[in-house]
Amino acid sequence: MLDDATPIFSQIAERLADEIADGELAEGDRVPSTNELAAFYRINPATAAKGVNVLIDDGLLEKRRGIGMFVAAGARDRLLGDRRQRFAERYVEPMVAEANRLGLDEDALVDLVLECSRAQEALER
Amino acid sequence: MSSSIKVARYQLIYPGLLVIAPWIVLAGTFVINLLPTVIRGGPNPTKALASIFAFMVFVGMLTIVRSLPFALALGASRRSFYLGTVTLVVALSAVYGLAIAGLQAVERATGGWGVSMSFFQPQYILTGAWYLTWLTSFVCLVLLFVYGTWFGLIQQRWDTFGLLVFVFGQVTVALVIIFIVGGNHDWHRVGHFFTTITAAGLTGLLAAVAAALCAGGFALIRGVTV
Amino acid sequence: MTPVISLTRLTRRYRDVLALDEVTLDIDGPSITGLLGRNGAGKTTLLRIIAAQEFASDGRIAVLGGDPVENEAILPHIAFVREDQAFPKFRVRHALNAASLFYPNWSAELARELAADFELPLNRWVGRLSRGMRSALGAVIGLAARADVTLFDEPYAGLDAVARRMFYDRLLADYAEHPRTVLLSTHLIDEVSGLLERVVMLDRGRIVIDAGADDVRGAFIRVSGAAAAVEEFVAGRAVLERRRIASQETAVVAGGMDDGDRPWAQELHVSLEPLSLQQVLIHTSVQAGRPPKEGTTV
Repeated sequence: MLDDATPIFSQIAERLADEIADGELAEGDRVPSTNELAAFYRINPATAAKGVNVLIDDGLLEKRRGIGMFVAAGARDRLLGDRRQRFAERYVEPMVAEANRLGLDEDALVDLVLECSRAQEALER
Repeated sequence: MSSSIKVARYQLIYPGLLVIAPWIVLAGTFVINLLPTVIRGGPNPTKALASIFAFMVFVGMLTIVRSLPFALALGASRRSFYLGTVTLVVALSAVYGLAIAGLQAVERATGGWGVSMSFFQPQYILTGAWYLTWLTSFVCLVLLFVYGTWFGLIQQRWDTFGLLVFVFGQVTVALVIIFIVGGNHDWHRVGHFFTTITAAGLTGLLAAVAAALCAGGFALIRGVTV
Repeated sequence: MTPVISLTRLTRRYRDVLALDEVTLDIDGPSITGLLGRNGAGKTTLLRIIAAQEFASDGRIAVLGGDPVENEAILPHIAFVREDQAFPKFRVRHALNAASLFYPNWSAELARELAADFELPLNRWVGRLSRGMRSALGAVIGLAARADVTLFDEPYAGLDAVARRMFYDRLLADYAEHPRTVLLSTHLIDEVSGLLERVVMLDRGRIVIDAGADDVRGAFIRVSGAAAAVEEFVAGRAVLERRRIASQETAVVAGGMDDGDRPWAQELHVSLEPLSLQQVLIHTSVQAGRPPKEGTTV
């Protein structure tokens, strides 16, 4: 479930963020408590709390005393924005660099991308 | 103080060693002596009562070896273990001493169980009134128990080697005493001492020895690791 | 806040062997800390001293604010579970009864539940229990005591994988409800990895790692690919291990992955693999001077 080679707290944060980004956790939804997360992932409650706090610090979750933690308003949009940025840095930039190395010009690259995108759509249908 | 009480309760959770075993030993020894007496006919002035007293040495040693490690694991201090256990044994010995005195009374009343066996009236030792029998038995049981704990404590602290040193040390001291006394042909003075001292005086002396051994055991246990 | 356990230059000498060498460690609570290290590293000695079952040769120790040795205010709040515990002539229920006498936070209900979970035969003589059952008994006592300081010295060594899983789950569940300071020594690092907030590793009586578990995970990276590319990637970094076959090389470097690494690795066509907690600890052990056993692959 969790991989043991990256900090667990950030994996927890990442998974919760994924659920928000995918829309599985909508704004205003209650997020599992620290103890629930700890029991589910079989991790230390403090580690679970650390992961949740990352999202609270980023403003994606808000804590309501005595009730629990909830997805903050605008969380999804903010997340998608961040992730697009990350996507560009992690995937697009290296891709462009690699394309240059292979001698693909802009048009060839765009063609490849479109081809891939259509194949993907076909699969999804 | 309350921790010593906890230890006493702990020792009573399964009192096999402290309660059940000594009386089984006593009963067994009694039967072993009674049967031949009944078959061959009395009188039978046996000293086999010593068995329960000797057994107390064994009980003392085993209590340390078997009950101490788990008690320490559960968070009892060594001091409270020793204090609580010895206090419990003092209380139990008082009861056992009374039982022995009672059995002695029955023996006297029945003329040695009908076969002139003097099991509970060993010559020279428990020949006085019932309360003296009680007192002497009580002190002896405690003394021998505490003496037994020394074996257990020494074994825990210094292993078998330490135990051997302890045993040979005592044998050596005993031999030295015999040599000195014998050398000076002073046996009659020793004998004189024992005839002049009253039963009560002797018991007092034994009680003092018991107290000294107890203090020593208390000091010994502080260094024990399990 | 005063640490729950505080060790200052703690040393333990046995004739000519130095079992613990100036160990200095502060553990705050509540927390779950893993005590790791090879056999003979000093883990058991350390735990025994914290539990006041063994005496230090030098240095200072404070548990719950005071020296635990013969300290009746502190001892009832320490639970120590060890694999080779000696019991008096008791049945299982007597042993649980005894524990209830000494531990102020003892939960008879939890003990009953756990005994049922582990299928402990309450009426059997402890001396007749199998190794696994004895470990289970230790685990039950350790958990049901709910002691402020709970020390486990590989108590699950005799338990099978299913029982171990149950132990971890019960520990976590009860820890969540009743937080306490837990110090757990183990070889089975992968299994307990998720439970730990912090790891302390001993090697030959000294602390070689004392860090948050999450800081240790991924602290080293394995770089694999063509030898020249790998060498270029690892240039300027501390290399902990190098293995080569033909023109391929794999190396382990210290330092976690940062943002620049992935694109650089892609450019060089080398693969990066952050190491797990167990793998990092094995490599640290190697660094501490002793090679791992033949045939160990990380």
